[in-house]
Amino acid sequence: MSEDIVLSIYRGDKSGGEEVRYTVPLTPGMVVLDAVHYVQAHEAQDLAVRWNCKAAHCGSCGAEINGRPKLLCKTRLDDYQGQVVHIQPMQTFPIIKDLVSDVSWNYETAKKIPAFQLSQSAPLQMQQFDVDRVQEFHHCIECFLCQDTCHVLRDHDAKDQYFGPRFMVKIAEFEMHPRETGDRVPLLAKQAGLDMCNVTKCCTEVCPQHIRITDNAIIPLKERVADQYWDPLRALFRRKKTTTPTAPDSAPTIRG
Amino acid sequence: MAEILQRYDVIVIGAGLAGMRAALEVDPRLSCAVISKVYPVRSHSVAAQGGINAALDPEDNWKDHAFDTIKGSDYLADQDAAELMCEDAPRVVYEMEHWGTFFSRRPDGRIAQRSFGGQGYPRACYAADKTGRALYQTLFEQSVRRNITVLKEFFVMSLATVEDQVAGVVCLEIRTGAVVGIAAKAVIFATGGAGMLYLRTTNPYINTGDGMAIAYRAGVALKDMEFVQFHPTTLPGMNVLITEGARGEGAYLYNRDHERFMVNYAEKLMEVAPRDIVSRAIETEINQGRGFDGGYVLLDLRHLGENVIKHRLSEIYDFAITYKGINPVQEPVPVQPGQHYMMGGIATNKYAETTLVGFYAAGECAAVSVHGANRLGANSLLDTLVFGRWAGIQASKFVQSNPGVEFPTEALRTQSALIRELKSRHGAEPYGPIRRALRETMTTKVGTFRDAERLRQALDAIEELEERYQRAGIHDRGDIFNYDLIGFIETGFLIDLGKVVTTGALMRQESRGAHARTDYPHRDDQKFLIHYLFSPNSRGQLSKTEEPVVITHYEPKERKY
Repeated sequence: MSEDIVLSIYRGDKSGGEEVRYTVPLTPGMVVLDAVHYVQAHEAQDLAVRWNCKAAHCGSCGAEINGRPKLLCKTRLDDYQGQVVHIQPMQTFPIIKDLVSDVSWNYETAKKIPAFQLSQSAPLQMQQFDVDRVQEFHHCIECFLCQDTCHVLRDHDAKDQYFGPRFMVKIAEFEMHPRETGDRVPLLAKQAGLDMCNVTKCCTEVCPQHIRITDNAIIPLKERVADQYWDPLRALFRRKKTTTPTAPDSAPTIRG
Repeated sequence: MAEILQRYDVIVIGAGLAGMRAALEVDPRLSCAVISKVYPVRSHSVAAQGGINAALDPEDNWKDHAFDTIKGSDYLADQDAAELMCEDAPRVVYEMEHWGTFFSRRPDGRIAQRSFGGQGYPRACYAADKTGRALYQTLFEQSVRRNITVLKEFFVMSLATVEDQVAGVVCLEIRTGAVVGIAAKAVIFATGGAGMLYLRTTNPYINTGDGMAIAYRAGVALKDMEFVQFHPTTLPGMNVLITEGARGEGAYLYNRDHERFMVNYAEKLMEVAPRDIVSRAIETEINQGRGFDGGYVLLDLRHLGENVIKHRLSEIYDFAITYKGINPVQEPVPVQPGQHYMMGGIATNKYAETTLVGFYAAGECAAVSVHGANRLGANSLLDTLVFGRWAGIQASKFVQSNPGVEFPTEALRTQSALIRELKSRHGAEPYGPIRRALRETMTTKVGTFRDAERLRQALDAIEELEERYQRAGIHDRGDIFNYDLIGFIETGFLIDLGKVVTTGALMRQESRGAHARTDYPHRDDQKFLIHYLFSPNSRGQLSKTEEPVVITHYEPKERKY
């Protein structure tokens, strides 16, 4: 006799909705996405949910499982034995239908980051330790779970003031390239709103690719901003020059 | 249900590597849009792990790369196309590096390269085991910089043509359910593979061969479709890919008698023999009772050490732990072959041109053919970037000298009517079981080893499924995110392709590359050193034509490793 597991899946759209319960037979090694597929095949053919690669490559199936942002395809059901598994769409973005939310804000935000610029033509000479740092950021699958959990975006809906952890990773990727010439520190200090982050590390905790977002991207970027704008020696030096980068407009600090 | 018409000079269907590369090459003075069934970064290109081949080292030579590719193809590749690709490879790698891709390095600071199956020299450049993602992120950034329009979550249903010229496509806007006609002077297909034909596949759910089937229905021939690559190492269960890079780094394959069985199949290259050979070896071991219960053998990485496993093969480490609870540092990983790549596809020449005027194809959905009967690892990323670029160049040239044809609005009405009719069918059989039966048939009867009897059975079964499909229906009658409707249409595409693959496999009475017939175990160059091309005749039935293989410098020889 196989065991059953109960899924409680949010059904609805922007006008409202509620969770509906479905019972699914449990098989060994089953992940939440398998169970959602079962529901879609047998009970609710009209269930809207994005999924694609089944292997945590594509970042399509981000949702909230028992209140935690997770990939449906990388969450094993045996972690929830004896519990009802509640599945909700990501809460930080507007819902379209059922588990599908509108993540287009992220793509618009990507356009605000100045493009990659090299100081010289390839082929380049670089050392592996330089590459290691950036390759960690390449692991990002753009599932936007970090954006979903970020309290600046989620609880305060400050999407107009902060680009969110995903794009701090992207900016870090460019900034830490040893042969890249762009300077995104003024962007970080102002429009990208890096100072809105108060390093609670929630994004790092939910990253399915285990990118150390806070430690390896956000904190080093904060150091660069501090170095350029708040270093007292530099400030003294700047006063003597005409082309001074001005301090960022003070943005309200949000406590999470 | 609304009907809308938009206009562009060039449209690219598919936002993976080939599609994005094509769009970047389209003359910026022309209006261009990329149309994707999913959000762009969701394309399957991002799942490519191992690498991209290029003869970068001064000791290496692009001609050797071309030879390895041709030999790997079991001499079915068109040699002029393979030469074009391999000669262009170093330029492609440096272009990607220049645009921002971070390749792993050698101690002297140059791009690192590792061994890959069937290559006589370590020439796969890689970005850890996330090469596809690294390349894709770079192209996506370039598309943002160039401000290329991407129509996200648009499902293309058909090509609109006027006589022998392309006029655009008809698609379904997934978010609204609107049927949208997109008129274009040139159309580039870069729609990827058709792994959903099989139960065991490394492909994602979106790889339903839409582009190949749509082109076929519009009268464009499909070439080399009987050649389906099975990747030797996938995790049993969901068949997640375990990169060839693992064997490239030195991992061993063992059967249940703890024998490194590859010694019996490819004495010299052992585990890094080409994929068709390793897949057949594993299947043979399993079929002869030397596999493990559940149908798998073991991939042992332990001797590579924790550092290599966790850094250069981090994804395998993560997958094995997440999906199997196995730590590859301490235990060998179970592996079995799974469908991985379609060597065949929309017939193109080496500049991505097809027989339909204004219509181009590149990447996995196309058959140039550079991969022939078997693709070598780390040649597909190269294929997407080389021929994606050519598609962009040729489409731009075409538009500059050709005014295009008027979009036939009946193409739009036909698709709308089809959807309306489908939504009004009641009490019909759901398509789900039909799709599953098709995938089971293909897996058990048109898999690694084939014979006439089982292929005929498969063909009968597919024809029966086709009849059932004509009467089947959907449950969801809504407009927004109606995946039931999309799944139904995709299943029709898969049935068409299943028929072509099986028919080709039945007609090709020889064993070549990935196509292994137990009743015809040898290669037969006298009769079969040719490409099969399939297109529908006026009654909608398969009609076959043949094309000679282009031979330049490399005479077909016996293929031994």
